[in-house]
Amino acid sequence: MYPTKYHTPKTLSEAQKIFAAAASPAYLSGGHTLLPAMKLRLAAHSDLIDLSAIPEMHGFTQKADRLSIGAMTRHHDVANSALVAKLIPALAGCAGSIGDRHVRHRGTIGGSVANNDPAADYPAALLGLGAIIVTDKRQLVADEFFTGLYQTALQPGEILLQVEFPIPQIAAYAKFRSLASRYSVVGVFISQNNKKVRVAVTGAGAGGVFRVQSFEAALEKDFSPSALVTCSVDPAYLMADASGSSEYRANLINVMARRAVENPGKTSCYN
Amino acid sequence: MKISERAFRAVGKPLARNEDLRLITGKGRFTDDFNLPGQLWAAMVRSPYPHARIRNVDGRVALQLPKVLAVYSGADCEADGLKEINHNPVPSTKYDLKLTGKDGGAVFIGKHTLLPTDRARYVGEAVAMVVAETREAALTGAENVMVGYEELPFVVGTVEATQPGAPILWDSQTDNILVDSSFGDAAATATAFAKAAHIVSDVFHIGRVTGVPLEPRAALGDYNSETGRYTLYAGSGGAVRQKHELAHVLGVEPKDVRVLSFDVGGNFGTRNRAYVEFGLVMWAARKLGRPVKFRADRSECFLTDYQGRDLVTEVSLAIDESGKFLAMRASNLSNVGARCVSLSPLSKGSGLITGSYNIPLATLRSRAVFSNTMPTQAYRSSGRPEVTFAIERLIDKAATQLNMDRFEIRRRNLVAPSQMPYRNAVGSTYDSGEYEINMDKLLRLADWQGAAARREDAKRRGKLLGIGFANYVESSIGTPKERADLIVSPEGIEVVIGTQPAGQGHETSFAQVTADLLGVPFERVKIILGDTDVVSAGGGTHSGRSMRHASAVIALASDDLVSKAKLLAAQIFHVAEGDVEFDDGVFKITGTNITTDWFDLAKRLKELQLEDFPGGLWVRRDNEMHTPVFPNGACMCEIEIDPETGGIEITRYATVDDVGRCINPLIVHGQTHGGIAQGVGQALWETCYIDPESGQPQNGSFMDYGMPRFNNLPFFKTEISEVLSPTNPFGVKAGGEGGTTPAPAVIMSAVENALAPLGITGVEMPATPAKIWAAIQKADRSALAEYI
Amino acid sequence: MTNIVLTVNGTQVLREVEDNIFLAYFLREQLGLTGTHVGCDTSQCGCCVVHVNGTSVKSCTMLAVQANSADVTTIEGLAKGDVLHPVQRAFKEHHGLQCGFCTPGMIMAAVDLINTYPKPLTAEIVRDEMEGNLCRCTGYHNIVKAILAAADEMRPVVTA
Repeated sequence: MYPTKYHTPKTLSEAQKIFAAAASPAYLSGGHTLLPAMKLRLAAHSDLIDLSAIPEMHGFTQKADRLSIGAMTRHHDVANSALVAKLIPALAGCAGSIGDRHVRHRGTIGGSVANNDPAADYPAALLGLGAIIVTDKRQLVADEFFTGLYQTALQPGEILLQVEFPIPQIAAYAKFRSLASRYSVVGVFISQNNKKVRVAVTGAGAGGVFRVQSFEAALEKDFSPSALVTCSVDPAYLMADASGSSEYRANLINVMARRAVENPGKTSCYN
Repeated sequence: MKISERAFRAVGKPLARNEDLRLITGKGRFTDDFNLPGQLWAAMVRSPYPHARIRNVDGRVALQLPKVLAVYSGADCEADGLKEINHNPVPSTKYDLKLTGKDGGAVFIGKHTLLPTDRARYVGEAVAMVVAETREAALTGAENVMVGYEELPFVVGTVEATQPGAPILWDSQTDNILVDSSFGDAAATATAFAKAAHIVSDVFHIGRVTGVPLEPRAALGDYNSETGRYTLYAGSGGAVRQKHELAHVLGVEPKDVRVLSFDVGGNFGTRNRAYVEFGLVMWAARKLGRPVKFRADRSECFLTDYQGRDLVTEVSLAIDESGKFLAMRASNLSNVGARCVSLSPLSKGSGLITGSYNIPLATLRSRAVFSNTMPTQAYRSSGRPEVTFAIERLIDKAATQLNMDRFEIRRRNLVAPSQMPYRNAVGSTYDSGEYEINMDKLLRLADWQGAAARREDAKRRGKLLGIGFANYVESSIGTPKERADLIVSPEGIEVVIGTQPAGQGHETSFAQVTADLLGVPFERVKIILGDTDVVSAGGGTHSGRSMRHASAVIALASDDLVSKAKLLAAQIFHVAEGDVEFDDGVFKITGTNITTDWFDLAKRLKELQLEDFPGGLWVRRDNEMHTPVFPNGACMCEIEIDPETGGIEITRYATVDDVGRCINPLIVHGQTHGGIAQGVGQALWETCYIDPESGQPQNGSFMDYGMPRFNNLPFFKTEISEVLSPTNPFGVKAGGEGGTTPAPAVIMSAVENALAPLGITGVEMPATPAKIWAAIQKADRSALAEYI
Repeated sequence: MTNIVLTVNGTQVLREVEDNIFLAYFLREQLGLTGTHVGCDTSQCGCCVVHVNGTSVKSCTMLAVQANSADVTTIEGLAKGDVLHPVQRAFKEHHGLQCGFCTPGMIMAAVDLINTYPKPLTAEIVRDEMEGNLCRCTGYHNIVKAILAAADEMRPVVTA
């Protein structure tokens, strides 16, 4: 790892100031993507600005029909939150399926969302639940936020503060894991809220996380696995790698979507 | 010599290990745990190309960087007269099959210099070394060494490398084939094939994997200019071997090299041959006058730990009307990588091509080929899983082709106990074994009776259940020489021996043997390993040799020690030597009530300082034992395939393993468990895939190399069968390789069995969900209607 | 360079560290606590697991400066004098280790699991929850048995 300067600002404005003054800074949240990349010398930053001491980035709040989660909230805490389990159990399950228990003790929702790894789970949850991303500058809907592989609408220096989830009637997540990395080869997050259905897919899209409108339309007519039997995703939009071809991923999207519908409130892991 | 079971108090007991206390409290001594004052760090500059001429190595920019002290190239090594690592890759005990070059001559192996001067021959080959004050500075230095490369055509595929027109790795050679030997009776085999009612043939590629010991390889070198001695801390499969090989590299006498190899964080064969970094850190320590350390990243380990397997085998069986095997024909091709480090896999496999079966005639062609890949080496059960895969998969195919039950066809052809010792058609002599009894025990252990009901149950859940089966026989040969020093002190007995465990529990099982041979409590025996200034000779640990060789040499040494102790007792008690009797730890003077024991004798000797006993009550014994043993067994597993995803779950796994005498069942079962995981890993997840278009390895971290994990393996049912080998005092065979040997075959047998309703055959390892799913898409899926 | 103060195995330590040093190497190279191992670069093998403020973390993926003012427990701090922790004892009794390289991280992970998992442990739960630790020697069989045995001892079954 190249040399770097570590900071622990106590306030948002302090963090913003350090960022503005530094040559090639990066915000540090859970560090479970950034630090390995720096360790392998694939990334270099003059300054690391640890956001863990900023109070407004932590914890859970229920606001009417929304659940707000602070960006620095760790996966383990989301997975074990009684409030999350009550309001959106599939989200708790999703957080509890990320990485492994040690990773979940450190990794944060904000870090995962801002990184937008094309195989990460949280982007599917946010898009599948129609979440709102609150930053120090503005609010964005998930559909506008995830813009491509490892790309988001965040501007340089902009800090993701909270994620607000509408509370759905039904939500479920099903994922098929890579044999090696254990990331999702395909993960499908489904929610139903006031008759509107959202179906978001991670792990498969050539451009990162995406929604499947044909699945949504089918499920809005009939929220059952059989409604999806004739639905398909065009492999042309999907990625291919050692975990499988784009055709295989297209198949998994259908299978995982059906299994999510079969298991409301749950997160189901396959393989 | 004959061992009396009467005296067994420790042998055969599942004693907890002596090694464990330090390892569970964080006090192990692994290579990277050692640091020396003033220590520098080395980093390697590695080739990004599979094949390239090295025009020049320019370290000027790197040398300008802070804390960088030196940049060394192959030319620097050559200028200093460093020699190649003399790997001695051709197995040469009396019982190894004799591999030769194409014309029957010597095998060209390609010199393994520490850094090449001419070409880089695989991606990741070290072409220069940077030494700096810190590891980070060395890595930054390495990034700034400018190497002038001229890319050359390359070949990475095993078969492709043999073909006319393939790029040739070594200028002195006309092609890439370094070994081409034939065994068996070709003419008689041809006659048998001509008469056969059935001929079954197939071609299998047992792909490339890597050992992945969890301790990344590391080395710490030092040089003492006053004594002229080098010291190396490096985990290995045998410090004594490394001492000799590295002395050759450095051009010094072996006595001037000390190698320390204490706790070794996994080996599985990958550490049995010296690595270039070992020689480089010692050499750099001398040049710079300070100790030099190297520690590989995991990604460097994936690229440049010696790799395993990579064998293509073409096999045919000639079978008569009744299902009796008449003859076998095989052609094995081993990809040794850019230079030849070991031919153990090819040799080992060659001697076992007929497997557990009485096949009267066979002919075999064994070839080895260079390619632009990391050299391969023995990897867990070197060579045996490959040939077991070939014969067992071929027999499954024969059963289908002949419409016979797959157990029945095996029973009809297994070597019978009455045929032991059995000389197979390529000349290997199996020492002992009850192969059919293994099968019967296994079918009970695995609850074969309940399989049909389980298959129906799986079907109701939408899963395809597959049952895999394989017999195996493997060979344990290894370096034939071993030495033991037994040293008695008033406190206890020390055994100095030249094996090198990496988790196999030698400090425990050797102590069990010694304790019972000498009639002393297990707790009072201490095993000393791993420092070549203490361990003067020894063959290291590989090929399942250690328990057998150690128990044999300790048994011989114990006899010597008893004789010496009788002499001592005679002098102490002023009686004739013949008047001293020894039984189960007690020395008795005939016709008196005087008795004494080992520790009392040692105490008295210390006080008396008798001149006939220089150095105290101790013996050194060397033993040379060539005769191999043939551990064997049977294995069964059940898997369930999700036809919608291709995902596989292993639901049952059972083995019966004839390990000969089992000294410590706790350890032997543990060896079997770990061996199973490694074999299953190759079948389902692991691969070192090298892209033939770019020559680039595709599996460089745990992100892309699928490992056996907690939640992709079941509990195993393992049963030990003890058919004592007549070849050595304790009747030991070996317990380290039995788990791995049949595992790839048994898993793939289960995969095909599960997919049989769809008529799918020939799925290649690793059988990933994507591959299974793709095969299902191409098949007639009408049979799936009952599942989905 | 940053000055950090932390408690390691019950002892307060004050050190000046480079900001880019990982906790694992700080423990190994500056404090000489070489029981914490590093087996990969991608935060997957779990050989480096220690407890920070009572929670298991991969110390190869946490900077030493991030442990400022924390309470760190490593494998060296688990036994109380000569009295082994029940998980250490179970690993020995059940032969849950071979080469021993993954063992410190494995034991620290198991202790965290047994201490914090909200429900009774089963083999399936142990296998899922321990997924962040790799072992190349044991095939996991005896490790699962060891963890379940230690859990029985540490968490006696509560009957309602």
